[in-house]
Amino acid sequence: MRMERLDEAVKVRADFQGGRVAPLLIKRKTQDLKVHQVTARWEDRRGAHKIFYFSVQVPSGDVYQLEFHSGDLTWKLNSVMLDG
Amino acid sequence: MGEENPVRDAGTPPDAARSTAVPRPAPLENSVPAGRVIAHVDLDAFFASVEQLRFPALRGKPVIVGNGVIASCSYEARRFGCYAGQPLTEARRTCPGVVILDGCEAVYDAFAGKTFALCAGLSPAMETFLDEAVLDLTGCGRLHGDLHAEAAALKETIRREVGLPVTVGLGPNRMLAKIAGKSVKPDGLRWIREDEIETVLPGLPVDRLPGVGHAVGRELARMNVRTIGDLRAFPVELLERIFGAPGRRLHERCRGRDTRPVEAREVPRSISRETAFHRPVTDPDEAAGMLYYLQERAVRRARELGLRCRTVQVWIDYTESGRAAASKSLFSPSDRDDEVFRLARLLLFRLFTRRESLRRVGLALSHFVVDAAAQDDLFDHAGQHKRERLYRSLDGLRSRFGHSVVVAGPSVRLLGKMNRDRNGFVLRTPSLTK
Repeated sequence: MRMERLDEAVKVRADFQGGRVAPLLIKRKTQDLKVHQVTARWEDRRGAHKIFYFSVQVPSGDVYQLEFHSGDLTWKLNSVMLDG
Repeated sequence: MGEENPVRDAGTPPDAARSTAVPRPAPLENSVPAGRVIAHVDLDAFFASVEQLRFPALRGKPVIVGNGVIASCSYEARRFGCYAGQPLTEARRTCPGVVILDGCEAVYDAFAGKTFALCAGLSPAMETFLDEAVLDLTGCGRLHGDLHAEAAALKETIRREVGLPVTVGLGPNRMLAKIAGKSVKPDGLRWIREDEIETVLPGLPVDRLPGVGHAVGRELARMNVRTIGDLRAFPVELLERIFGAPGRRLHERCRGRDTRPVEAREVPRSISRETAFHRPVTDPDEAAGMLYYLQERAVRRARELGLRCRTVQVWIDYTESGRAAASKSLFSPSDRDDEVFRLARLLLFRLFTRRESLRRVGLALSHFVVDAAAQDDLFDHAGQHKRERLYRSLDGLRSRFGHSVVVAGPSVRLLGKMNRDRNGFVLRTPSLTK
């Protein structure tokens, strides 16, 4: 297993039903990553706004750490843990 | 064993109470204990469990979180003989295929916070530590009904909402609740009731008692004391003569007695920050730079809690000759970086006298007074307020944009030598002190 830092702004298709955010698809510059499973979620605060963090597993087995900023409604890929 | 009917006034004679025919709540037979009930909730292998939750490929594998030494290890790693505090070089030898991760303080804080918020639903009297919570459930049987079932439900809720396994111990006091939990780890639930103390406690190894660490354990082994029952044979006077004041505590604890209350500590006993260097350090200025950074984090935390500290303790670990520590009190309690660091730096240079490199540095602030109750300087009122405004502004900036938005004082020397992220310098050992 190897961790790589990404710090990359991405577009995400997400489900906001029931007051809970669930990322479904991550659109990177060159590829679309379907979210297979949200393995963990937690929250932090930056100033007045909440930041939602997600660990999401894609079908290849890699786990991405995704961040959603509730202030400006932007998504960011922080890092990836490569499987194998 | 049922509690008295709470509807009846304590001063009212029983007959009079009966004649008023006040409707009684339905009795909760066998579920409402008469004495104290304390719950001890412990997050099993906390940091390692969070990493296994985040990265499914790690589940079922030996995982260690730590840098330099083990901060937390999964139960799979423990089966190989790994333990918290073990040097990583030794852990790699003990458990060859182990996955070692640095860990992330912010993530663990978030998971602990979420868990403790769920625990708070069970009882308002709660005391939390880094990875455990103690709840006073005395009298809560009237509200919740069966406390054992309620504890099982809490475990289930934490597993569902947070995703982490917890062990819950219930007992008539803090010590027995903790011992109950320890005996069924991981992911267990056990209640040691008042009438079980005599059957459960005497057969347990003596190191299960709180207060029996390495040093006391060695001394007890020398006295051929192996179990808690063995310890009961010693009179209190003898234990006091051997161990000093803690001897009396041992005498009480081995009989299952513990009167410590559960209280949310609004004023902590101490705030400490420490870290290991990425490589051994010989330059005193670099050590002072790191000490300033740690001091900034600790004093900022004290300011957030509205506290001023009186005592500063500094410790250093030499690469070869072990630890040296010193502490000193300020002239008056302070929550200012410059005042605390002046004393911390003095202590550092008093300790760092050998021609040997340093492996670790840390500091602790203690003997707090509440900010509002502290006496202001009578003669430098303007200067003092100017400084306070400066630190308040810095705190505001840092809570909004992250600690690393401002690098101040001697910690400037760490620039270029250490990586930084939003939360500050990336330390070798994350400072996880609560």
